[in-house]
Amino acid sequence: MANITIKEKNEIIDRYHANPEQTLNILVDLQYASTDGYIDQATAQFIAKRLGVTETRIYEMISFYAILKEESQARYVLKICNSAPCHFSGEPLVSRSLKEILGVNENEITDDGMFLYHGIPCAGACFQSPFIKVKDRVFPNLTAEQISQLISDLRAGRYPAL
Amino acid sequence: MVVRNQAVLTARFNKLQDPTDVETFCQLGGYAGLRKVVEMNKVDVLDELDQSVLLGRGGAAYPVGKKWRNLFYAESDTKYIVCNADEGEPGTFKDMALIANDPLAIIEGMTIAGYVFNSQQGYIYIRGEYRNMHRRLRQALTNARKANFLGENILGIPGFNYDIKIISGAGAYVCGESSALLNSIEGKTGRPRVKPPHLAEVGLYLKPTLVNNVESYANIPVIIREGGAAFRALGTDKGGGTKLVCLTGHVKNRGLYEVNLGTPLHDILYSEKYGGGSSTGRPLKFIHFGGQSGPIGAVEQLDDVAYSYDDLRANELTVGSGAIVVMDDSVSIIDYLTVVAEFFAHESCGKCTPCRIGTMRILELMEKFQRKEAIPGDLEIFETMLTHVTELSACGLGQSVSVSMFSGLRLFPEEFEVAINRQTADQKEVIW
Ligand SMILES: Cc1cc2nc3c(=O)[nH]c(=O)nc-3n(C[C@H](O)[C@H](O)[C@H](O)COP(=O)(O)O)c2cc1C
Ligand code: SF4
Repeated sequence: MANITIKEKNEIIDRYHANPEQTLNILVDLQYASTDGYIDQATAQFIAKRLGVTETRIYEMISFYAILKEESQARYVLKICNSAPCHFSGEPLVSRSLKEILGVNENEITDDGMFLYHGIPCAGACFQSPFIKVKDRVFPNLTAEQISQLISDLRAGRYPAL
Repeated sequence: MVVRNQAVLTARFNKLQDPTDVETFCQLGGYAGLRKVVEMNKVDVLDELDQSVLLGRGGAAYPVGKKWRNLFYAESDTKYIVCNADEGEPGTFKDMALIANDPLAIIEGMTIAGYVFNSQQGYIYIRGEYRNMHRRLRQALTNARKANFLGENILGIPGFNYDIKIISGAGAYVCGESSALLNSIEGKTGRPRVKPPHLAEVGLYLKPTLVNNVESYANIPVIIREGGAAFRALGTDKGGGTKLVCLTGHVKNRGLYEVNLGTPLHDILYSEKYGGGSSTGRPLKFIHFGGQSGPIGAVEQLDDVAYSYDDLRANELTVGSGAIVVMDDSVSIIDYLTVVAEFFAHESCGKCTPCRIGTMRILELMEKFQRKEAIPGDLEIFETMLTHVTELSACGLGQSVSVSMFSGLRLFPEEFEVAINRQTADQKEVIW
């Protein structure tokens, strides 16, 4: 979480009044704010101290909730849907194309650290499959050409907000 | 007065330039329910809810009137109001649509609950995947506070103090189960609690708690405004109102629709107003109702069925979350159910052994059927495994793994039959 300063971490924690009830909100917000997409140990310890809970408790949360990660993620994490409605509505095109274009399997980071793709159980975008979701943004109804275009666009930094 | 074929839940959709703006919300009937409820006798409110026959829209279809009555008579100075916006059932996106297009309707429903139960604090537990919606809700809450529809002395009524917090989920399907959800709000891992005690007695922080779905709350102002009987007339006598349904899979017009309960299923699938028929040119084969935990129906057997709680139940189907996943005849039931089995194996929280291990065994068996490597006896093992997991699991997740599997077995036995190699010897040894 090299990109977030202590001050910014404190701001996020204070937004929730350092209330242990708000641990999930705090963890999710911190992870979203980071460019490497995970909670590193120093941050986990920092949160534990600020909330007055144990580090184990924080790691218990991180390992239970699928969205929270304890390892560095790629610059762009491409989320694809694993579930039945999407699986039978063209999703295999996305996983096949990504494997081909990026040359890695699901959950593996590309050598340049730019991309990782993985399945999630549902993104609530079932009526737009095949899609790819990057952070909050859904790229809907994709064709093979659009998928490779999206990858080049992301690589070229055309989506600075993501 | 509302009439059939009139949108009630989606009435304000696309009419609010800023869906979080309180003033335009009020111009379109918003907060009329809250204004009315504070003039009513609270027991009459419960009667209206009973009259409405609003069944919980989160999936379990528990009567909302009954749930509210239980909480009403629970004795405690502190009660909590919780909105389940976890929306974990694959194929469901109606709660997201409500939050995106009319968040104040949900907040109004929760505030009415706050009034009825003298509660001071509400919580909205929202899916981690819906980050945009967190912002939308936060803005709506801020605007409601500014207009004094939340905060202290709401509507100028001394002592009517109520506010709502948002808690983000983080990608665990099981957290949609109401007791797991409460654990998650308390800042713990979201594993279900052993019930009883019921949440109306021992809920959040051990206090009596109401947990309802987003769509259930959005219906509350409608019932208060229009009356329970008028609301019931929008649906059927066994389940009132309209239902938000999410059409996905192989239909032309995938998306969200508000339908009167009792609408012919055939219309929902084929009429241009809704599904518009097959998108692939192939005949439609089966429908998965209400999410992964719901049952499956064969399209050709459902020609005369109405989309209502009673008619679906009579056909061993359910409304569930409102998901309607439609598959054409290119999809084998075995392939489909293997993906469903993967979902459950992935989402089991691991608290009870039958669910933790059983979902894995079920997945392995499905994969065996898929490879056509099953041997005589596997089908019996499969059915016994399904029964065990259903009967021995502690929460609704484990208990419903078998639902779609059993309907698949019943409707398409021939597809399982061809997956078994009858040349191999019968299994003598039982594996459990
Ligand atoms: C595994 C599991 C997941 C669930 N997920 C949800 C969900 O995402 N949203 C929801 O409203 N209800 C969900 N439910 C149902 C809730 O437990 C509960 O019945 C519901 O929130 C009550 O609200 P209602 O009566 O208004 O439907 C789930 C239940 C189980 C067992
Ligand atoms: S049935 Fe499954 S999901 Fe539910 S508590 Fe048991 S292990 Fe967890």
